[in-house]
Amino acid sequence: MDPLLLLLVFLKASALSIGGLSSLPLLRADLVTPGIATDEQVVQAIAIGRVSTGPNGLYIVSLGYLVGGIAGAGMALVAATLPPLVVVPAAALARKWLLTERVAGLVRGVALATAGLLVATGLGIVGASGVPAWWQIALAAAAAALTYRGTLHPAFVIAIGAAAGLALGR
Amino acid sequence: MSAREFGEVWALSQLSPGIHLVALAGLIGQRVAGWRGVMASVAGMMIPAAAITVGLTAAYGLVAAAPLAKAALAGLAPVTGGMTIATAALLVRATARHGARHAIVDVAVAAAALVAAMLFGVPTIVAIAAGAAVGALALGRERSPSRETPMG
Repeated sequence: MDPLLLLLVFLKASALSIGGLSSLPLLRADLVTPGIATDEQVVQAIAIGRVSTGPNGLYIVSLGYLVGGIAGAGMALVAATLPPLVVVPAAALARKWLLTERVAGLVRGVALATAGLLVATGLGIVGASGVPAWWQIALAAAAAALTYRGTLHPAFVIAIGAAAGLALGR
Repeated sequence: MSAREFGEVWALSQLSPGIHLVALAGLIGQRVAGWRGVMASVAGMMIPAAAITVGLTAAYGLVAAAPLAKAALAGLAPVTGGMTIATAALLVRATARHGARHAIVDVAVAAAALVAAMLFGVPTIVAIAAGAAVGALALGRERSPSRETPMG
């Protein structure tokens, strides 16, 4: 895929989302649905993003690399970095306006809609390769509970998933 | 930087598009050392982490085609799916307002987006735009109009 086009796709997802993983529904719609990326690659990118250091939203750098090599990773990094920084000049020029109820409501509305879309995306990933087996459903539920509680490091949750796959996935 | 200042930049960072931590790093860098502070703090946060992420992805690529890696993927897919669903729940917990009536409205907005996407095939971008419009019009007020005391 043309790196510039990839940059636009990643920029769109980053600029229209609120918070790290929130770009996922948009990226899945723009990359997986037209066949540019696979759900397998999305799963790998999220897993690597959780194991790696830095913000969770950096999974898009992994996805960029899988889709477009080093150039794709660079585009994803630029796309992850620039949109959040609009808040720096905005805070300097219009701090009072940013802290109004209307802006708070807009951000809340986007975040809540994205949350609903993330549930749809999560279900889509679980069922991406056909009807999941019983142990896969149990694994998804356990991973959701562990992530929600946040007491176990995500890398361990990923390791549990990989181990369960090795034990039961053949 | 005082605790009050940090609280304010944190609140501003939560309004940013994309990764909030990038916005937070940028805002702190700006306060401490102007635009050069922005560059230094954001580069310091992103470049090493991105390099490690690329390195891990490339390393995974070396073994991705092996049967064992394929088997592991059968466990990784449900785990990342479950994590994504939990992220949604955490997002609702962080953004839903206090007070039962407001919280019910907020959860209903998230549920409406889920139903729209899953059952009616509403495009992602349309659902996000609708959330933005509903939010700007109706979800900004934090306290109940019938009471003067803040709730929660």
